[in-house]
Amino acid sequence: MGKENPAHMTDSSKPIIRFDHATFGFPGVIALKEISLAINAGEFIGVIGPNGSGKTTLCKAVLGLMAPLEGSLKIFDCSCEELRCHHRAKIGYLPQKGVVDRNFPVTVLETVMMGRYGALGLLKRASANDRKIAVDALAHVGMDAHRNTALGHLSGGQQQRVFIARALAQQPQVLLLDEPTTGLDITTQHNVVELIQHLHEELGLTVLLITHDINMIRSLVDRLVLLKTRLYAAGPPEDVLKPDILRQVYGKDLVITEKDLVIVEDYHHHHHH
Amino acid sequence: MLDLFTYDFMQRSLLASAMVGGLCSVVGVFVVLRGLAFVGAGTSHAAFAGVALGYLVGWPPLLLAIVFGLATVWITGWLEEKGRMKLDVSIGILYTTTMALAILFIGLMKAYNAEVYGYLFGSVLSVTSEELRTIAGLGILVIGAVVIFSKELYFIAFDQEMAEASGVPARRIFFLLLTLVALTVVVSLKTVGAILVFAMILIPASTAYQLTHSLSTLTWYSVIIGVSCSVGGVVLSSIWDVPSGPAIVLLATLLFFVAVLCSPK
Repeated sequence: MGKENPAHMTDSSKPIIRFDHATFGFPGVIALKEISLAINAGEFIGVIGPNGSGKTTLCKAVLGLMAPLEGSLKIFDCSCEELRCHHRAKIGYLPQKGVVDRNFPVTVLETVMMGRYGALGLLKRASANDRKIAVDALAHVGMDAHRNTALGHLSGGQQQRVFIARALAQQPQVLLLDEPTTGLDITTQHNVVELIQHLHEELGLTVLLITHDINMIRSLVDRLVLLKTRLYAAGPPEDVLKPDILRQVYGKDLVITEKDLVIVEDYHHHHHH
Repeated sequence: MLDLFTYDFMQRSLLASAMVGGLCSVVGVFVVLRGLAFVGAGTSHAAFAGVALGYLVGWPPLLLAIVFGLATVWITGWLEEKGRMKLDVSIGILYTTTMALAILFIGLMKAYNAEVYGYLFGSVLSVTSEELRTIAGLGILVIGAVVIFSKELYFIAFDQEMAEASGVPARRIFFLLLTLVALTVVVSLKTVGAILVFAMILIPASTAYQLTHSLSTLTWYSVIIGVSCSVGGVVLSSIWDVPSGPAIVLLATLLFFVAVLCSPK
């Protein structure tokens, strides 16, 4: 699937996701306010911000699960208001851990096959080709040997790989990852991040990675987006990770060590999960 | 004992129980996976209220059972979607309301009506050819819908938000599932009765759940277990001369505990 990936055919100078003064939430509860952001094809974007800063709302917006209250959001130049909009299939999504019941009786291959839904639509059956695409996606994350294993029998890191494979089975142009490393041990966290970096380079995928772990991704991303209801900063990590900018957003949760290492202690995050 | 199977009524009841067993166990897979157990319990009592009203006013009982059943699941689904009530609370309210209505309707009847009680406890041995055709017709409708939308039904059971993000019309599929549950309950009412029908939906699928980690295998196991328990229950009930509904359910329960003990999970 690498060679024929449609990402290479996209004009890289044109933004594929464009927020234009977009406000999201419910009337009275604003989760994201007046966001303006253009994401170009092939970019690796990290989205950071404290808990409740609207990171997950951003995710839902990109997935088309939430329409802007004001302003606009265009994905591949389309407002994607239709539920069946074909642009949705171009965004592969890894949900936050815990959203999915991982003991659900489903095999690895059955899980990945769900990623083919966007390409199949309502009434079509999966073909041998869809199966091949799913197996290839598993190979990309190094899990093809486990295709008939129960999802619940895998380790947290392996399950995360399977869910990444499900996103890849969509043959997406964008990989949208919501806290992909949360709840994993340090070694596994690094392996998962390495895999994402590898997929970004090998498949030319645009990556939108939402995380609270700044240190993990600061060296990987082209641009960092700092959210707290509003968009506080967006740019290269060295421009965004400045003490005065970060302090505005994180307040006293911010600790900076002598080697310019930024550590954000998001206590709330640990309490809520 | 084999003479028994030459009787028309016995053949009809075996056929009816096999169809009901298969139907309940297929729908049951999605009920168990989507966590809708209580919805079905509520629906069966609502459907029974429809039957009671039918006998009271002289309308076709099964038709009113369908109306009551569908109204209950749709109101429940709608309340959950509105975010007004959790599913188990709203179904609890409708469950008791419809049961109160059923008792009211029975109380208003001038004379004791044994047929109504047949729907409460199930009377598979008295299934008529016409009822058999109704079961077959509705059964084909439900199974057809499950086969056509199986991909979507599995997907929303697994992860509704992800399904929606992938373009599955998740809310419509959820209402379809609620509708299928209601129809299945009505179809099964005469055979196993309002009280036991939900056991037939829950137990085979839960038994299969103990035995496999694959969605497709789960469905097949559930059907095999459901059909065997229904047919086996009817046979046992006629051999031992005990009521058929409890025989079916107790056999299924026995298998469930055996499966729990032998579960590889």
